[in-house]
Amino acid sequence: MSKEITLAKLQTMADRSGLQLTDEDLEKLLPGVNRSYNQILELRGLITDRTEPAAAFVASRTEKNK
Amino acid sequence: MAPSGLFHLSITEAANGLRRKEFSPIELAQACLERIESIDDKLHSFITVTANLALEQARKAEQELRAGIDKGPLHGIPIALKDLYATKNIRTTCHSAVLQDWMPDHDAATVTKLREAGTILLGKLGMHEFAFGGPSVDAPFPAVRNPWDTAHIPGGSSSGSGAALAAGLCLGALGSDTGGSIRTPSSHCGVVGMKPTYGRVSRYGVVPLSWSLDHAGPMARSVEDCAILLQAIAGYDPNDPASANVPVPHLRAELKNGIKGLRVGVPRANWFNENKGTDSETESIFNDALKALEGLGAIVFEIDGQPFSLARKANQTILTAEAYAYHEKRFQEAPEKFGSSVRRRMLEGAFLSAADYITALRARTVLNEQIRANFSGVDIFVTPTAPRPPETFETLDPNEQNLRPSFTNPFNLTGLPAISLPCGFSKDNLPVGLQIVAQPFEEGTALRVAYAYERATEWHKRRPKL
Repeated sequence: MSKEITLAKLQTMADRSGLQLTDEDLEKLLPGVNRSYNQILELRGLITDRTEPAAAFVASRTEKNK
Repeated sequence: MAPSGLFHLSITEAANGLRRKEFSPIELAQACLERIESIDDKLHSFITVTANLALEQARKAEQELRAGIDKGPLHGIPIALKDLYATKNIRTTCHSAVLQDWMPDHDAATVTKLREAGTILLGKLGMHEFAFGGPSVDAPFPAVRNPWDTAHIPGGSSSGSGAALAAGLCLGALGSDTGGSIRTPSSHCGVVGMKPTYGRVSRYGVVPLSWSLDHAGPMARSVEDCAILLQAIAGYDPNDPASANVPVPHLRAELKNGIKGLRVGVPRANWFNENKGTDSETESIFNDALKALEGLGAIVFEIDGQPFSLARKANQTILTAEAYAYHEKRFQEAPEKFGSSVRRRMLEGAFLSAADYITALRARTVLNEQIRANFSGVDIFVTPTAPRPPETFETLDPNEQNLRPSFTNPFNLTGLPAISLPCGFSKDNLPVGLQIVAQPFEEGTALRVAYAYERATEWHKRRPKL
């Protein structure tokens, strides 16, 4: 099941994210945002309740003199 | 007087020539600088040329070599850097108005290593803005052009690195690769580029695009040159949280060991024909490359490409979310400073939720396992590097990359080492690349296969007419 985002909803989401985007910006973004959502739906089909994210936190690691 | 055409030498040839005193580091650096001066207005591969620094470093290298101080095969070799490697007191722009005047107060770890190896820095190279999107046509610096035909894109995002090498403007370069940004321009420009294993080369001082997918790596005109550069920049760095404390083998020593009996996996089914599929000419050139590998003693197996195909979706989601997170404040304050291509691509990340991002990371776990499981039956994977030869600037479609398979993305997601080298030319005389992928920290295997193929073919000897 795809979840289509509309231009109006995208505008709301942009406002909530603190972004001031023109209508032209939003129109250009819309196809990519919808493609992203559909990709995520497809990725959800791959994972099970036992799948952990591929992200590591190492308790002993500190950020060194960046 | 220095011999002509020094700028076309490989690093290995130049290193030998310097030691035989056929020419000096100054003559070599001058040859590259003159070449840049004479033809780079057609290519725009350099954003900043550091001529004075290069000549100063060349003088130092000359004195050292004369005094018997030999720092190895990169001593006195002119190189250039993608303009996202921080260089102390040298402008580092990421090809963007956002960082147009940034003067870092530090060097990237790889830059320090290359300086210590005695390289000569010619300057900083053009790229896709912040290593994302397409050619930067509305950035403060012109988009880089392909030396084989300037109407065509050079591939990105390490566009300047690929173009400068192909055109003979430098002997080696560094690129960075988050979804294919070393391998694609290597393929499109007819040079060699390697994305090492994630953690093999420090990212310290490389402006991030996506922390968990970014790889720093070498680009050059031959496989051996790539091995030399990788040897110099690889190794553990405590300043990079992702750096792996894994010993670096002597990469050049492994090159000539041959590939007899090597098992080659081709993930063709369910991948090469994705959407618009792979260009038929590219696939035909790739099939010829497979025959050449078989002729060298390799055994080719077809394997399922489905997990490789899905990997792009996870890679894109993670990349976009992390890239937006890094630039969020800049987008909220001054989105107009970003060029149109990178703005459109990066802003997609603003609309992903935390759950979306975590879903992609969980899919990464699954796909990594599925892709690596193939190594029980094969030693390496091979694919074309790009699904088609480079498009023209005029016909470039920003959505095209989603309509054809991405042969590079899966190996950012899995962190596997992957090299691209020339394997043929299209009927329009545009280069086509072969990608060779090995197991984690087995860069030596990928380089060995690439070296064997390169020795057996002539593609790497062709040069663009400029």
